[in-house]
Amino acid sequence: MALPAPSWSRTPPALYRVSRWFRRLALIVIVILTIFLATVGYSAYEFVSASPQSGGYSASFASNSTVAVTGDLSVANHGWYPLSGFDLSLRIRNASGDLIGTVTTGPETLAAGATTTVPIALYLPISPNSSAASLLVTDQYLAVGVWGNATYAYLFPISVHFEQNKSWGAPFANLAFQVGAPSEANGSTVVPVTVSFSDHAPFAEDGRLGLTLRASNDTPCGSVSYGLDVPSQGFFYQTENVVLSRGCSLAGGSADAVVVLGSATIPLPPETLP
Amino acid sequence: MPAPPEPVAPTAYSVPSLGYRILAAAARLVPLLILLVGLPVAALTYLQAQGISLPVSITTVEVAGVLISVLSTARYILRPTAAYGPVSIATSAVSVGYVLVLLAQSTYRISLPNSSLGVDVDYARLLELVLLVPALTLLASLVTTVEDAKAPKERLPFDYPA
Repeated sequence: MALPAPSWSRTPPALYRVSRWFRRLALIVIVILTIFLATVGYSAYEFVSASPQSGGYSASFASNSTVAVTGDLSVANHGWYPLSGFDLSLRIRNASGDLIGTVTTGPETLAAGATTTVPIALYLPISPNSSAASLLVTDQYLAVGVWGNATYAYLFPISVHFEQNKSWGAPFANLAFQVGAPSEANGSTVVPVTVSFSDHAPFAEDGRLGLTLRASNDTPCGSVSYGLDVPSQGFFYQTENVVLSRGCSLAGGSADAVVVLGSATIPLPPETLP
Repeated sequence: MPAPPEPVAPTAYSVPSLGYRILAAAARLVPLLILLVGLPVAALTYLQAQGISLPVSITTVEVAGVLISVLSTARYILRPTAAYGPVSIATSAVSVGYVLVLLAQSTYRISLPNSSLGVDVDYARLLELVLLVPALTLLASLVTTVEDAKAPKERLPFDYPA
């Protein structure tokens, strides 16, 4: 009976096998990383190609003595990897460099292949002593700083920052109160007061402007109301007579104006009278 | 009936001549230099020409790339010898050092000229994964060095089977 042929073992020694195992593992890591990086590169290119689109912004007066700047940002992730922890911050400074408003959205996760719209609503306080009060009467450039943070493809935290100067058209640009010479009528003192301004804002103004003239000791001397119907980029110029309280002197006093537009009540910066 | 003989490991092997190994290593050196020096330096030079700050200096890339390529070539030539393990360790150690240098500068701030746009990209986590590769080859090299010390030429039949 023939003997079976001896089976020559090709099994390498243990140390050789361990070394080979490490080398093969390294090779697997290289292959996985290469494929991952190639797909991340392609996905990032697709993402950047469909860069975030602004849906436009609108400004209006809000009921809480603020200017509301609202808009949205559409972000499309056409790549193969998610964008996680996506947040966006806006900071706006006026022409003097004072911070007048901030807004933060997110964080949110944008899945691969998804598109999202990020709403942005920024409320700028315009009360007389606030840093944004100058927005009412002064055209200026606003410095808009945008910060965005996200992690792309699990491994890459990214932070984007840019500054842009945006022109701001004041809704009551060049606001002026002109008090004319007083006259006597029916035993009362009457002064003609002319209010003028330009609406450089992107919205029309339809409402009323209430004006109070005050003496130097802040006592109200008289008031008057002007009807407003000013289109965007329009000019307002109107004169009304104000009946002054008996014995009230306007010398060194002030003119306080409050505008009511719909549900919004907007105090305008007071003006000192000569 | 006599018992069948115990299977034993083959002992025959065929080591290529030194000249052949040098020739093959030289041919292997070309793609290595392109991969580790040529392409990265070209990319960095392009960024520099656009006025964009670089994440790592071109000199660092050149020195590390050339060093790793040369060591890798020497490792290939010395594979049948006892110097293979130590040279492999040196190659892996230099690679680990290179990745650690890159890791220390892994937050890349891209500033475009004449633009307020600034982009910070952090690729530390990627480099930590990349670090796995030279770390694993370093372990492999250590094991090979031990193997060569304990049983010289034991691995040759498997590295260069006849």
